This record gives sequence, C-alpha cells and structure tokens, in this order.
Amino acid sequence: MFLQIHPDDAVPIYEQIARQIQFAVAAGGLMPGDTVPSVRELARQLAVNPNTVARAYRELQALGILDAQRGLGLTVAAEAVEKCRDQRSRWIRERLAQVVGEALRAKVSARQLQSILQDVIQTLSRQEAQS
Amino acid sequence: MNAVIRTEELAKRFGRVTALDGVSLEIPPGVVWALLGRNGAGKSTLIRILMGLLEPDRGRAQVLGHDCRTEYLAVRRKVGYVPELPVLYDWMTVAEIGRFCAAFHPAGYFSEYLRAAAQFGLRPDQKLRHLSKGMRAGVVLSLALGHDPELLILDEPTSGLDVMFRRQFLESMVDRAAAGKTVFLASHQVHEVERVADIVAFLKEGRIILVEPLDRLKRETRHWILTFADDRAAGSALDRFAAEDGVLRADRDGRQIELLVRSREDAPERRFAAALNLEQVESHACSLEEIFTAYMGPERDCEAPSLKEARK
Repeated sequence: MFLQIHPDDAVPIYEQIARQIQFAVAAGGLMPGDTVPSVRELARQLAVNPNTVARAYRELQALGILDAQRGLGLTVAAEAVEKCRDQRSRWIRERLAQVVGEALRAKVSARQLQSILQDVIQTLSRQEAQS
Repeated sequence: MNAVIRTEELAKRFGRVTALDGVSLEIPPGVVWALLGRNGAGKSTLIRILMGLLEPDRGRAQVLGHDCRTEYLAVRRKVGYVPELPVLYDWMTVAEIGRFCAAFHPAGYFSEYLRAAAQFGLRPDQKLRHLSKGMRAGVVLSLALGHDPELLILDEPTSGLDVMFRRQFLESMVDRAAAGKTVFLASHQVHEVERVADIVAFLKEGRIILVEPLDRLKRETRHWILTFADDRAAGSALDRFAAEDGVLRADRDGRQIELLVRSREDAPERRFAAALNLEQVESHACSLEEIFTAYMGPERDCEAPSLKEARK
C-alpha cells in the first residue's frame, strides 16, 4: 500500500490517509481480508505523527471499512468495497462541483463546460487505453 | 496530569536584549510538542534553561519532575538532548564516543546507541572527523536515544541536513512518539512541524503567543477573499473587519479584501452578511505556514540586534 501525504493541503492528514485507503479498497488495490500496516509502521513510513494515523484508522473502523482482528491487527472488512465505491462517487462529485462552481462563477456557460468535460473525458480515456 | 515539562514565568535577558519574557508552559506526556519561532525568538534560550545549561533571571522550570536549576544532573541523565550546534570530540570514533557517553548512563546504553547509529548507516570504526554533517547529526541523535529517554528535546535538529537525513530524523522522531515518549521539537521548518506535531506553540520575541493542538488550529483558521462592487465598499469593509476578533491578517487589493480569520463559529461566513455591496465570498483552508506567518505579524522595519550577536 503506497500513500502520498501533502501536509500543507487543506485536507487534514488523517483524512488524506483515510481517503486514500478507501480509494485503494474501491479500486481493488486493497481487498477484504488484507491487513493494513500497524500505526507505528505507517507513521514511520509516511513520517507523520502516529496519533494522526491512529485517528485515520479509528474513522475507518467507525465506517465499517476496517475490522480489528485479534492477533492480526486491522483488516479490510468484507462489506468495505461497496462502501468505498459509494464514498468514491461522492468525492468525485464534490470535486467536480468545486471546479464547475468556479467556472460558473467566472461566467463560463453551461454549454461550454459540457464541451470541455466531454473533451477531457475523451482525451484521458484515449491516453488510458494507450498506456 | 503529570506534565513532562513545566515552566512558570521564565524570563531571561542578555544585556539589553530580552530573550524570554514570562514563558509559562505545561507539556503533557506522549505528544510531539513543537515550538515554532523565527531565528532569535528565544527557542534555544528556553531549551538551554530546561537542560540546566543556563539560569533564568526569573521564574522556574521543571523537567520530568526535576528542578532545572538545582537538579540539572538528573535532568540531563533522563532526557535525550540534541543541541543545535553539537560539539563532538573529533578524534574519537563512532564507537568511542558511544562508550564515553555510556559512562553517564545505565547498562545497555552502548548497544542501543550502536543499533541506532547503524540505522543512520554509521560504522563503529569511523572517525567523527571524517563524517559528513548529516552523519554527525546521526551520531548526536543516536547518543540522545541510547538510554531510551522519556523525553527527547531537539533544537533545530534538521537545519542544514539534506532531504534523506531529514527524512530519517523525522522517522526516528515519529517512532519515539509511537512508543509513547514525549518529543519537544524546536524548529523553524514549518512543513516538518506540520507533519509530525500534535501541539504547536508560537514563540515571538520571547513570548509564547499561542499553544494549540495543530489539527484544531488548522480547522479553525480560514482564508477569505471578499469581492465588493467597488473600491470604496472594499475599503470600508476592510476598516471594519480588520478590527474584529480573530482576524489575524487583513489586506485590500482594489475591490477585493483578503482576511485570515481564526473562528470557532459553525458558520464563520455569517460575520460578512452585513457588509454592503459584497458580491462574492470565497474561502479555503490554510496551511500552517500561512497561519504562522500571520501570527508572526508584519516584518519589523528596523534591524533589532539579534540575540546571537548579543550573546558574543
């Protein structure tokens, strides 16, 4: 599991960790039953405060995405995949809403926006297909 | 709560320069506690008082229950200390300096020291004279960790180190915290502090102006850009908001004003509701750097004599 942390981002570090784990589960990089690194290990790996990692794990447990397994540490829950996919859709919607909101405030028309979005989707999926 | 470090009204002057001006602190166990301040703010003076290397003019300081003035030997034995400008005996090897320091500590220190040193890629037979700056810093940190101290005090530990050594330093620091120990970190590396700190304190011209859990500070501080119909509306809004509670910084550029606001309200934008001719409100969260800069206030115009010069 590889995570990337940006300490000066607006999103708090614990949330960055929690989100990236959810994205990994949604994309199949982490599967139900997989264990995540211990708090100490991940804190060291990312060079972030261990309480921050512990907080991310607590939130993921509260969401039913991670389960504490006796002797194993934390593992990805069986029903986590669906939850993470729902969550992923919500974040994508949020981030798009930010961009769209910015464009609308700058007086870009709805039609212009649609054509830009179409274009971006086409270009990116062509690139994905090639790689 | 048993404070690991406790100070009451510490004050220290060097000639005409006030280094510390009434510093009272209480640092709980098991946290990474970061002291941020500009060069010459008094960070090193505070640390040297804690380690019993300097006597305060006024006030009291306790570390791990020991008075820093009268029981400094106990303090130095129990604390892991990484000074800003460490002095090493250059003619010793990595192993020799470890054995030398082991004399002041319980059994087991030497092997623990060598283990820590190995993590920095240090070999026992290397002469200190031949080590790079980063490797010397590795020796100093390993010496500070040999006795598995309850409290690690670091004074600008990564200044002048390359990216790799910095990273290793941060990792060791994080690992101390994960083991439940306390880390006191004095720094002006805001980005590093943002990664590792539980609690941050800002020291400005010898005074502590803020002590706060980092996540709360970041959650409660936002950057606002308000756009008005014309310059005049922006100007009068600036006069009004600049004087309000929690406004750390206020600037105007044409018909826009920019505010950095610390607020515990649920809907902080409500405070702008009454502004006249307000056309648009934007806001975003702040990095620690933005917050720190705002608290430090505008640059001083006149060149105040720096503390380091005054000490000479």
